[in-house]
Amino acid sequence: MASFAEPLRPNIASADVQLPGVRDYEQVDDDIIATLKPTKGWFAALGVAIALFLVGAAAWIYQIYWGLGNAGYEPPVMWGVYIITFVFWVGIGHAGTLISAILFLFRAGFRTTIYRCAEAMTVFAVMTAGLFPIIHIGRPWKFFWLIPYPNWRLIWPNFKSPLVWDVFAISTYLTVSSTFLYVGLIPDIAVLRDRETNPLRKKILAILSLGWRNSEPEWRHFMKMYLFLAAFSTPLVLSVHSVVSFDFAMALTPGWHATIFPPYFVAGAIFSGIGMVFTIIIPIRKFFKLEHYVTINHLDAASKLCLFTSMVVGCAYLIEFWVAWYSGVAVEQEYFWNRVFGEWWWAAWIMLTCNMIFPLSLFSQKLRRNPTWLFILSIFINIGMWFERFVIIVPSLSHEFEPWQWGGYAPSWVDVSILIGSFGWFFMWFLLFIKQLPVVAIAEVKEIIPPKLRSHARGHGLDASGHHLPYGTETPGEHD
Amino acid sequence: MRRGLVAAFREIDATCDAIEALKKKKYDFTVYMPTPRHEIEHAVEPPMSPVRRFTLIGGLLGVTFGYWVAVWTSEYWPLVVGGKAIASWIPYTIIGFEVMVLVGALSTVAAMFINSRIPKITATTGFDPRFTHGDYGIYVEAAPERLKEAEATLRQFGAIDVRGES
Repeated sequence: MASFAEPLRPNIASADVQLPGVRDYEQVDDDIIATLKPTKGWFAALGVAIALFLVGAAAWIYQIYWGLGNAGYEPPVMWGVYIITFVFWVGIGHAGTLISAILFLFRAGFRTTIYRCAEAMTVFAVMTAGLFPIIHIGRPWKFFWLIPYPNWRLIWPNFKSPLVWDVFAISTYLTVSSTFLYVGLIPDIAVLRDRETNPLRKKILAILSLGWRNSEPEWRHFMKMYLFLAAFSTPLVLSVHSVVSFDFAMALTPGWHATIFPPYFVAGAIFSGIGMVFTIIIPIRKFFKLEHYVTINHLDAASKLCLFTSMVVGCAYLIEFWVAWYSGVAVEQEYFWNRVFGEWWWAAWIMLTCNMIFPLSLFSQKLRRNPTWLFILSIFINIGMWFERFVIIVPSLSHEFEPWQWGGYAPSWVDVSILIGSFGWFFMWFLLFIKQLPVVAIAEVKEIIPPKLRSHARGHGLDASGHHLPYGTETPGEHD
Repeated sequence: MRRGLVAAFREIDATCDAIEALKKKKYDFTVYMPTPRHEIEHAVEPPMSPVRRFTLIGGLLGVTFGYWVAVWTSEYWPLVVGGKAIASWIPYTIIGFEVMVLVGALSTVAAMFINSRIPKITATTGFDPRFTHGDYGIYVEAAPERLKEAEATLRQFGAIDVRGES
């Protein structure tokens, strides 16, 4: 590991060779396909995820049978763990499209090896988030009432309601991000198809790859499609959490009725998503032996993004206090005082510590390049961001305008079980994904590998089999 | 009757030179590459992809439908609140935007499928699995009497393997 005494490593953007440990296209295929072989550790992790999911599923069945009274709702706090966890998972779902679309448009090199993981994370996180409004309404079979469809009662949803905006935003986001994930996978599935020896798997992969052949016209249309999907996904990412923030900001409740909410929620969502990307990608690079793909340089660059979004979120937290003071509204001022020094002080300080203070460690290059620290920090960020939503929802609802209306809130065992179950559900899908499909984008990694040239064949940099020789340790870029 | 030749290349510059030569001799050909490379695009000089038109039309249809469904349903079953518009375009912009993104994005993907001619049922003619691995490929289609010249051109510019396809 690098120490402060050593010279600084070149930034990924200025590195001549981004992946010095990868010699040629064939190695990319071999290394990534090798990660698809199931291991005992993977089966164990999948078993744990399924067990957690079953805990949540059992609790939900119990709640459906006995009623919503088994969740910890108590007037005036009628939004609790389910809405907190809904916002939490929607937020997690933001980093995937940020990394795959926005960083694609900005040509950020470090996205290449982590974006597939982040995209899959997005789809599964939004799938998880989508369950929570359905759980929260208590009668899940009535959920379809939110969807506009022709019906004999001639009744339509109220398009002025933020909850209907949510339905449109989340379902559009889920559809577009799943489509983005699948079409990005098509060339990689074709690689798997042509390397597969099991006839049944080969047939399935042939169907999924849609007969993709890597021809020039296919790539030409594919690249144009990818560009436009990225261009559409960029405002979509920003809109989805803005719309989620309208669920709060459109209400007159103290602590919610603020115009800063949309950018504040978007920054928080991206921050939490990057935290979850670290939680996922750091074990994957270690257990799948992908350190030469997801390099320390990539983690370093992603850490800078994490630090930046943490500072935006921290700035938003502080501005909220300033706005409350400057507004001159006694109820707002009382609420924000109560947030940090009142009944819920512990939740607010968990939020502030995990989201504002711990990420400041990323100013240290040594810590940015330390995967163990990044993993520990990512757990703190996940906890901090869940508590951010707790702090937004519970203290506001429990401490509104009239003191006689004030109340408390304590999650029940059903709430907690469903929260735990959501992690099981998310990781179950993710673990199944990483053993069926490539967790690193094969075609895009090949794009950043120097192609073979005839000058190499004349003896420069090629071995006897016609492959690139390994790059020397003096090559700019990561070589740990 | 036209027949084909499938050639595999190991190096990108060899592939580009072969493409230039085939263009000069007016052959019909398809190029394969493991990953999109601008060098090959410059050599092939393909026409602009029409995907963008589908995106524009899809986006416009989506935004129109999004606004329309919100306005029409509001007028059909009015929720009358004193001093408020029955159909209010400001909140309906959210619906218009989301449906624009949805329809625009799906039209873009459909455009890629239509223009790339996928899904394909037979993926084997004029193709070799090496082209999804590490090698570049050129599939030349020509009348039988021109195939010998095509093969010589491909080999001259560094094809490591050339095979016939009927």
